[in-house]
Amino acid sequence: MPARLAISAALIIALTALCATVFGQQHSPPPPPYQVIVHPRNAEVTVERKFLEDAFLKKITTWPNDDVIRPADLAPDSPVRRAFTRDVLNRSVEAVKGYWQQRIFSGRDVPPPEFQQDEDVVQFVLKHEGGVGYVSGTAKINGCKVLVVR
Amino acid sequence: MIATKNQAIAALALALCLVTSPAFAVDIGSEDSLASVELHGFVSQGFIFTKDNNYLAADTTHGSFQFSELGVNLTKNLTDRFRVGLQLFVQDLGPTGNYDVKADWFYLDYRLANWLGVRAGRVKIPFGLYNDSADIDSARVAVLLPQSVYPEENRNFLLAQTGGELYGYVRLGSVGALDYRAYGGTIFIDTTATSGSPYQVQNFNVPYLVGGRLVWEAPLEGLRFAGSLQALRLDATVLTSAMTTTGTTPIPLSANIQIPAVLAVASAEYVAGDLLLAAEYSRWYVGQDTSNAMVFPGSPTVISERAYGMLTYRASKWLQPGVYYSVMFPNVDDRSGRQNMQHDVSTTLRFDINPFWLVKAEAHYMMGTAGLDSTLNNGTPLSSLQQSWGVFLLKTTAYF
Repeated sequence: MPARLAISAALIIALTALCATVFGQQHSPPPPPYQVIVHPRNAEVTVERKFLEDAFLKKITTWPNDDVIRPADLAPDSPVRRAFTRDVLNRSVEAVKGYWQQRIFSGRDVPPPEFQQDEDVVQFVLKHEGGVGYVSGTAKINGCKVLVVR
Repeated sequence: MIATKNQAIAALALALCLVTSPAFAVDIGSEDSLASVELHGFVSQGFIFTKDNNYLAADTTHGSFQFSELGVNLTKNLTDRFRVGLQLFVQDLGPTGNYDVKADWFYLDYRLANWLGVRAGRVKIPFGLYNDSADIDSARVAVLLPQSVYPEENRNFLLAQTGGELYGYVRLGSVGALDYRAYGGTIFIDTTATSGSPYQVQNFNVPYLVGGRLVWEAPLEGLRFAGSLQALRLDATVLTSAMTTTGTTPIPLSANIQIPAVLAVASAEYVAGDLLLAAEYSRWYVGQDTSNAMVFPGSPTVISERAYGMLTYRASKWLQPGVYYSVMFPNVDDRSGRQNMQHDVSTTLRFDINPFWLVKAEAHYMMGTAGLDSTLNNGTPLSSLQQSWGVFLLKTTAYF
């Protein structure tokens, strides 16, 4: 009988510990795959996904306040860029590259500058009032404003 | 002199390829420096082999390497809204190009707002979905775009015009967006007679070329529809080798001709993930007025019909297959006979070896001879050329 009680107590403790672990993880979710950042003086707080898509494909070139949009990309092999391109531009990095091939060689436009690291994107955005970029969810953004994508 | 220029361009392109780092473009100078420019380029070499009829170049039935392209472009943002650019292009495709260096496009571009920009210079003509990128091998799967709507032999007339253009992009909320372009100008064309042509062209002039394209991006992501219209007139004096005598001096027979043309195309494209579906339907209305029917025949307006459907799929990062069916009738009132039709079933495999280098293999089964050129086939009339024939193409392109 005491042995049964001991086993039951041990199972309850183990179950409690498991639940605490699982629910504890739910309360601190993993960081998002990317953060969309703009210059701190940018008036926007949220941005529509479609607006971002048009901005990064340079179909539109100005913010609502008429500042010129200056988008910045990460390198094509960056997993952060792959996630952003899939979610926001709704296509693969390869498809975006094909889009820019058409634009470049038909004289329509050139793609946004590409940077190897999050810090370079942050610096670019801080340098240009119309700057917009994306960095990993854990990147230090040094005062850039994070936009909520709707 | 041309050879020297070509060698210089080729050397420049090769040097640029060699120094290109794994980045998308070569940026010369720091971003904010006035001397900084963004530089891109491509080099292509193709091989054409045909069964039964020569196509695009002479002697393709024995295989031809007369299928080369090279382009280098520079773009500079002078301000946030003002940009200039230039692309030099060298091509050899059968009797055309011959490695002559020419400005493919150059422009000054000022973007006033999202809904209005203005561009002046020599600019690509937005006709259908792909005309303004028709010579950009890296931007598509097929080696040859559907020739019914984007014929290589009409490249000089269709690809770029010198003049001005207005353009813009307007989002329409829940009903999608509109992308529009309107242009007007002229075309400058090298009128060197094609070998075997019975005519010599003089005083070639395009008094007007106007047109526009409206693209509606539908609310369904990846779906767009477009309508394009272009009107132009070609004026020229043509001479034949047949002579007449005035007094004792023989002079060639001549005729002043005018060729008014209206070209229209309706387009639809759907991109879903790695799948692309496109279809276009086009009609060209071309007249022919002449001052001397003995030299150059006149004709009432002839309507040609052109259409295609295309499917491509990105199977992996390095492989994209594609197929299309393309059809062309030079005269909608006479669709009988091999010379009055061109059916084309094409299949392509595109291999992306790395982000800067691709290889394509393509096969066409052709029915009809309307897309052929008699002068490339020893003057044999189209009605006497082989009705069923094939084309095989290999092409490799490096780009940055």
